[in-house]
Amino acid sequence: MTDIDTAATHSATPARPARNWRKNKKLDQWLAFWIVPVFFNLFGLVFVPLSWMMPPRSPSAPQSEIVGFMQSHNLLIACVILTLTFGLAPVTNACYLTQMKRMSVSPVFRYCLIMGATTGGIVGQLFPMFCFGLGAFRPGYDPKILAMLYDFGYLAFIGSLGCFCIMWMAFGLAILLDENNILPKWLGYYTVWQYVTELIAAPVWIAKSGPFAWNGVMTFWLAMAMYVSWQIIVYVCIFRSIKNQPDDELENAWLETEPATPDSAAKADA
Amino acid sequence: MTEVAEESSTGATDAGRTAAARSHLPGDPSMWFFVIGDLVIFGVYFVVYMYYRGQDHDAFLQSQAQLNLTIGTLNTVVLLTSSLFVALGTAAARGGRTADATRLFGLALVCGAVFPLLKLVEYIPKVIAGVTPGTNLFFMYYYVMTGLHLCHVLLGLVILCFVIRNLRGPAMPRISFVETGATYWHMVDILWLVLFALLYLMR
Repeated sequence: MTDIDTAATHSATPARPARNWRKNKKLDQWLAFWIVPVFFNLFGLVFVPLSWMMPPRSPSAPQSEIVGFMQSHNLLIACVILTLTFGLAPVTNACYLTQMKRMSVSPVFRYCLIMGATTGGIVGQLFPMFCFGLGAFRPGYDPKILAMLYDFGYLAFIGSLGCFCIMWMAFGLAILLDENNILPKWLGYYTVWQYVTELIAAPVWIAKSGPFAWNGVMTFWLAMAMYVSWQIIVYVCIFRSIKNQPDDELENAWLETEPATPDSAAKADA
Repeated sequence: MTEVAEESSTGATDAGRTAAARSHLPGDPSMWFFVIGDLVIFGVYFVVYMYYRGQDHDAFLQSQAQLNLTIGTLNTVVLLTSSLFVALGTAAARGGRTADATRLFGLALVCGAVFPLLKLVEYIPKVIAGVTPGTNLFFMYYYVMTGLHLCHVLLGLVILCFVIRNLRGPAMPRISFVETGATYWHMVDILWLVLFALLYLMR
């Protein structure tokens, strides 16, 4: 049976009643999916109104301003929330990966996404968290050291965007090469722009002011405008692709259709 | 059916065909989505560049004078020639002259491949002379924008290789794929023309 066939028959079946949500065969995917907006909203809350870490402060800020920021109570609360919720980030990637597995492309693309997300997450999220956390939780550091941590934190956060490049490149190429049409082709091209605008963030290591500094128009604002709109559109597309996935194609479909056999464990590994 | 009816129907299809050719979108529609979006993104970058150039006009002009205009012009000629071969090749592929199309796309690929080589000849002496992205804002723009365009050229060369493979394959070549590749290659061309004007020529 072709994909179009199954998609058509699936969309013909009425939606499940709300009271049966626990029997929904895609419950795992939907839980992972709805954790994503929770995670991003928390992230937005921490970075923007709570600590004003974003939009980025100036790379050439005077030392007194840096010390005031690094030792503020709001930054401390922000770091607490970050430490507790950081683990939600991998769940967001589980959404992509489950749908990517349905594409007719080499598994290499999926492994690239996993490894890219891992390295990007460490450099782009854990490093800044440690840098700002050190400033917030350990008062008494020399102002010069605080200034270094400030540089380190922001450069890791914004200058590491290149780490995510290969990850999104794998994602974009997988969409373009996929013959099952799991995600629309134009999203693949959109993803290509997205990672190319992230490459532009490389000059933050050189420029300390102007459009290429870490708070500049080219490296931050345009890249962020691309990223935020892209992220929202990807989630709408992922939502539709989970919704259109036929039930018999689910990886856990065998749980209900077949009795437990010794080779069940092997299937669980698949 | 009668001959009269057949004749009138062929007349109608002829007229229909020209109308269809006029409204026909060459290549894959999602490639057009990509091309238009890419042009918008570059357009925004150009506007930002113009703003910062206006802020420090003299410094930009002085730095601009250090660019190698000969290599820039050569690169323009190379890209335009390559695009001409792509256009001729697409016409040949549409007309069913697959062997001619393959040869023309091969020539386009060779011309296109000269572009990155010339760019290297341009970049290396600059970097050796100590002119790097850190020198000033103009050179930051110069390296970032031409580098970004170079990425597009390299991707275009890969796409041209796939078009040639499509043309040489045992099956009938897919004309829509040839058109998609040609569309992308022409976009690379347009971007370079604007970049060349903005970075090398504008006074």
